[in-house]
Amino acid sequence: MLGRRLLLTVPTLAGVLVVTFLLLNVVPGDPVADMVGERADSTTIARLRAELRLDDPLPAQFGHYVWGVVRGDLGRSYITGRPIARDLAERFPKTLQLALAAMTLAALCGITLGVLAAVKPGGAFDRLAMLVSYLGVSFPVYWVGLLLILLFAVALQWLPPSGSGGPAYLILPALTLGMRSIGFLARMTRGAMIDVLSSDFIRTARAKGVSEAAVVGRHAFRNALIPVITVLGLDVGNYLTGSLLTETIFSWPGVGRYVLTAISKRDLPAIQGSILFMSVVFVLVNLLTDLVYAKADPRIAYD
Amino acid sequence: MRLPRLLAFSAICLSVACGGPPTGGAALAYYESYDPRSLDPALSTDVPTGEMATLVYDGLTRFDPNGNLLPGLADRWTAERGGRRYVFHLRPGVKFHDGRPLRAEDVRHSLLRVLDPATRGGRAWPLHPIAGAREYAAGTATAVRGIAVLGDTAVAFELTEPFAVFPKFLAMPVASVVPAPVPADLAERPVGTGPWRFVAWQHDDYLLFARNPSYWGTPPEADTLSVRIVPEPLTQAAEFEAGRLSVVEIPFSETRRWEAQRPAWLRRKPALRVTYVALNNRRGPLRDPRVRQAINHAVNVPEILQTIWGGRGLVARGAIPPSLPGGDTTRAGYHHDPAEARRLLAAAGLANGLDLQLWRTGTNVALGRVCQAIQADLEAVGIRVTIVVRDASSQREAARQGEADMAILDWYADYPDGDNFLYPLFHSSSFGPGGNYAFYADPVTDSLIVTARRTLDDAVRTALYRTIDERVYRSAPWLYLWFPVDLWAVQPWITGWEIPVIFNGQRWTGVRRAP
Repeated sequence: MLGRRLLLTVPTLAGVLVVTFLLLNVVPGDPVADMVGERADSTTIARLRAELRLDDPLPAQFGHYVWGVVRGDLGRSYITGRPIARDLAERFPKTLQLALAAMTLAALCGITLGVLAAVKPGGAFDRLAMLVSYLGVSFPVYWVGLLLILLFAVALQWLPPSGSGGPAYLILPALTLGMRSIGFLARMTRGAMIDVLSSDFIRTARAKGVSEAAVVGRHAFRNALIPVITVLGLDVGNYLTGSLLTETIFSWPGVGRYVLTAISKRDLPAIQGSILFMSVVFVLVNLLTDLVYAKADPRIAYD
Repeated sequence: MRLPRLLAFSAICLSVACGGPPTGGAALAYYESYDPRSLDPALSTDVPTGEMATLVYDGLTRFDPNGNLLPGLADRWTAERGGRRYVFHLRPGVKFHDGRPLRAEDVRHSLLRVLDPATRGGRAWPLHPIAGAREYAAGTATAVRGIAVLGDTAVAFELTEPFAVFPKFLAMPVASVVPAPVPADLAERPVGTGPWRFVAWQHDDYLLFARNPSYWGTPPEADTLSVRIVPEPLTQAAEFEAGRLSVVEIPFSETRRWEAQRPAWLRRKPALRVTYVALNNRRGPLRDPRVRQAINHAVNVPEILQTIWGGRGLVARGAIPPSLPGGDTTRAGYHHDPAEARRLLAAAGLANGLDLQLWRTGTNVALGRVCQAIQADLEAVGIRVTIVVRDASSQREAARQGEADMAILDWYADYPDGDNFLYPLFHSSSFGPGGNYAFYADPVTDSLIVTARRTLDDAVRTALYRTIDERVYRSAPWLYLWFPVDLWAVQPWITGWEIPVIFNGQRWTGVRRAP
């Protein structure tokens, strides 16, 4: 079953390759312009264009690129001359670290808020939790990130403003990145829990004298997990492909910033390589999410 | 997998992934907005690469923070045959960071490497005045006939024509001297003769340098210098306020706040930079000098400078910054006079006005506001302006191809000399990519610029620069805006740091951190 699912990702990735390649060739801007800097002569520009095969017909360029990808070669950056696969391998651990921290935070806070809110819908805690979740979903990442820096790094000086290093460096970016998920997960969990808590088997459990903690914690929670896993899976996919804004505000050396720099410099192979890499990660995370479903709910089976 | 186990797994991954080297702790801390392209000086086409190359390497000559030309690896040089031949004598006893002694052959080899097409540097133009350099770069010659090694201690350059500014070209990062044979991983682990030795580079994160105790000049006062990569200007300011950067450049939008809150920390210096709107002199009604002059009369530049730019600049009446010989702030300017603008437009047969596009970049918000003010001022005299917003790469491409009526731009000096504000910007051979985004062409200006380049006498050359700048100004190829003034904040515990007027003028050797 896994093999078949994996095979199905191939056309998806091929589609990504084609679309990215075409888009990059429609976008204005000359990659060579960024290689030569502000002042250059036309002879140098023409020579570099020829060397990089930028003047070849599009199908030839595409064929050349795909042939490289098939052999596992993502090519070299036009700007730095470094292999793109190595650049990505260097940055992905940083993105992974931030994604896991944000996800852990989001799962812990979001699910806890949601479950507690669902225990007494309409109660004081429920209203507070839903307010927090509203704010989390609505505030723009950029604004929150800068405010967090101003408060915790500049005014209170408890945490470093940006950069990477020990766990202290992780807190603010993880909070900024995870904030939206906390809000979203809290709402999802609350909704799912309220649904489940009103179902027959919960009434049965209560009737046979199971403690309220066990009803909520074991019986209801496990059944409410499915939609929560979906949301969590999608968010992890997003986090792992790099978070442009958060990584930029916090000077975090991850995949997101790599792509941003590549785009601003029209570093075509770096953009293409990164997007392909991100697509692979995204597809794999979705696959993983599906597998986790089956674990969480034995009624779901894939054939 | 149950959720608790999933969380435990995440926590383990997290603790494994943490624990990189701390970026703080260095005596001095500087920053760049983006990762250097490379640490190979042959690839120094961007500012971060150039600044980092300046720490690790030396050229034959160098600049101080005020843009004065100083001896570098050459302790003296002579211009012969009217500036057509230069002989540079190497300073004795210089050693690379790996202990190898510097030889004249290293110099020759370094420059050949920059010109070699295989290097793909893209910025060999500072070496193009050397005889045979262009042929070598094009792959049609196997050697550069203009570079000769004289024994172990001198290098002679034969130029294609007399060129007074050539010693300044050799102070640019691209002309840095690297050891021959070149280490294979020079781009990642540079070896030079400069005041700082390379220690570490985490891409997009930080670079670390240590004092070179056997530097030929005065070695750095501090033991270490870290260079953080911090893309967001507001984060840069926060890093500074948290005491983790030694200096920070103040964004234009933040000028007022810093002036009010931290006046004692601020330093300012006129930059070797000009902000202008290139008017495409080959496009539509802009071909008529009267229309271009009308634009200069219509826009209230002093007011825009005060209100939008925080007063951080000097109104430009020419292209050469006033801190350079040849710059002139006393020139009679295009004063703000909408009636005169209308009269000029009517004389050009455009009494009913005209439509123009003004291209700007999406990232430069401050310049975006300037564009809106220009748009409003031009509207008042009947010029209807559409602002076209693109990313920097697309804007530059359009301007280079001559597809933009007007483009708002900044020109940063590569070398501190009036020539840098004339030849690339107004010589007809510099059209488009060369820097002449206005496509200004005037045979008299061309020949005056070439004459100035050949003139060794500084006083005569300066007078020529002033004449050329005046001549160009009268035909208004640009909407002249201003020469920005740089504003930096320096930590109270940092001494010996000065704002460099040219990006490679600050080598951090005299900078100290008070205990």
